[in-house]
Amino acid sequence: MHDGSGRIVVQNLTKQFGPVTAVQNLSFTVEPGSVTGFLGPNGAGKTTTLRMLLGLVTPTAGIGLINGQPFGNLGNPGRVVGAVLEAQGFHPKRSARNHLRVYAAAIGVPDQAADHVLELVGLGQAAHRKAGAFSLGMKQRLALATALLGDPQVLVLDEPANGLDPEGIAWLRTFLQSYARQGRTVLISSHLLAEVEQTVDQVVIVSRGQTMYYGSLDQLRGSQRSRVLVQPSDASALVTALQADGVTGIEQVPDGRLAISGIDAKQVADSALKAGVSIYGIQEERVDLEQLFFQLTNGQYTGAGPNPNPYGAPNPYAGPPNQSGYYAPPTPSQQFPSQQFPSQQFPAQQYPPQGYPPAQYPPQDYQQQQQQTPPPGYQQPGQGGYGGGV
Amino acid sequence: MLMNLVKAEFRKTTTTGLWWGLMIPTVLLALGWALGTGAIGKSVMDVVNGADAEELTQLLGIDSSQWQVSVFGMARSINIATVFPMIFGGLAISNEINRRTITTTFLTAPNRVGALSAKLIVYIAWGAIYGIAIVAAVSIGIAFTSDSAALPDPAGWIAMAAVGVLSSILMTMLGVGVGALMTSPIGTTIVLLLYMLILENGIQLVLAAQDLVPVIGFLPNGSVNGLTGSVAATIFLSTAGVVPDELVEVIRGIAGALGAFDWWLSGLIFLVWTAVFFLGGWAATQRKDIT
Repeated sequence: MHDGSGRIVVQNLTKQFGPVTAVQNLSFTVEPGSVTGFLGPNGAGKTTTLRMLLGLVTPTAGIGLINGQPFGNLGNPGRVVGAVLEAQGFHPKRSARNHLRVYAAAIGVPDQAADHVLELVGLGQAAHRKAGAFSLGMKQRLALATALLGDPQVLVLDEPANGLDPEGIAWLRTFLQSYARQGRTVLISSHLLAEVEQTVDQVVIVSRGQTMYYGSLDQLRGSQRSRVLVQPSDASALVTALQADGVTGIEQVPDGRLAISGIDAKQVADSALKAGVSIYGIQEERVDLEQLFFQLTNGQYTGAGPNPNPYGAPNPYAGPPNQSGYYAPPTPSQQFPSQQFPSQQFPAQQYPPQGYPPAQYPPQDYQQQQQQTPPPGYQQPGQGGYGGGV
Repeated sequence: MLMNLVKAEFRKTTTTGLWWGLMIPTVLLALGWALGTGAIGKSVMDVVNGADAEELTQLLGIDSSQWQVSVFGMARSINIATVFPMIFGGLAISNEINRRTITTTFLTAPNRVGALSAKLIVYIAWGAIYGIAIVAAVSIGIAFTSDSAALPDPAGWIAMAAVGVLSSILMTMLGVGVGALMTSPIGTTIVLLLYMLILENGIQLVLAAQDLVPVIGFLPNGSVNGLTGSVAATIFLSTAGVVPDELVEVIRGIAGALGAFDWWLSGLIFLVWTAVFFLGGWAATQRKDIT
């Protein structure tokens, strides 16, 4: 009934809940043999997408396919795909083992499978305890055990690290990677890149129900570039000098400084010296993965002005890609009017106004500032007991 | 494949305490009502068969010594005890939605039709199990307090037992349907109990007062009462000898079949009620977004 490929295909999935568009024209493919992270902030439509893929929610438009078939055509779906969607799907008075025996019967696997998966997730000792007495972490493990009952080829997990202790997270990371190495497909959602950064090979990044990026994590990492922010006495002279040296990545940032990418601060200073331009302030800035993720999921590009590319990261609109990673096309800006996202992009204090006396430049580098003043909506990794991330 | 799902559904019902938690009051209520109605029937018959009443019964041309009055108590006791299988059914889907186990249920079934068909089969079986327990408890209770002459003959007992089990099954399915439509375990329980025990009795009183007695037979409780009550009345009348026509309605009223149609027609009417709610609940669950 299905092709056995282990491939997940999401094609133009859209879901309206009344007036709310939870998912909008989402498309991506998940290949077997790797762990794919499905990332986006809370409310980005991740859970709805996974539930549409699993036949629990009917899409308004589009289709989700597993092994080339919609969920309803898989025959015995428990043997093809296992899912951890929430840690609450248990009757509080039913023991862990009985819970698993119920679904072992439904899938048609022998009852020993229940004991096997209990041992696998480390709940062997708690087999006869009622699920209602379990901690959140134990419930997550039981949910994973349920997903593994049918020894499925595809594993889909929605925020599985919630409630797991650091030890559990480390265990889950190893487990999922070895699962993928057997040629199986693992799709794992999270609202924190840091949480899954060490687990996933591929990422699908969504924001406001739309795909912002999908491709390999290495590709995304490779696109992190540093740039130099410099405040010269004579900007045009410095630009001329740099261009003469063959530097092309020069931009003016809103506070009037120049952002130069492709060379380091020392080279910029040397060029300035040669051109006789004074440097009032210079700093090197690195964009890390979390910032890139944050930038991709902030919905900010939709309202971007003349300079939508402040960090020197690849412009998401730069069009598809001479690389394997894929950036989503622009959202029609009328959907998210720019005034809705006013200053998220450049919190004012990070970019002192032009003419700011150099001596008062904050000594910290940009990254430190960024961490000290997280923009609205940003959640620090490690909050809520998530530990070191998956 | 369906057998796997039936096995899973059956395990769901046996791995929590709900089934026996409801079975205990079911049996106690059935037994208690049977003991009580048997005792009432006995004291009524003691009066009727007594010397004082002899003159009256002879005047009416009836022989009360063979009256199987216990069937009325059986019908009433069965009817009241079947509210428990109805609640058991009411929790079938509403509890799964409430506990969110419905997610895994649908993830491990080929499709929702399969998952819900398995539930249908398992809850028909549970309705029958409750029905058998009710009939057994009622029979024991009635036998304790009734005169042996007032007990039904084997054929009559089998007929009562059969409609007792049937009404238990139908009540269970009605509960499943209402639970699937309401999706709240507490709401389902309250609505079912309130309607079956209080609200419809009020409606029936109003209808009786307005000379609209025949309408009662079309109501849910009226029709399920008619299923057991009509059989009880039929059994009674078949062995009671000559009964004046005026007394027949009274007898049907005593049996709980006031305004009800023949047992098979009452059964069909209640089946329609059950089907409306069950299929409505099925349709709602079939299309529901499990979020």
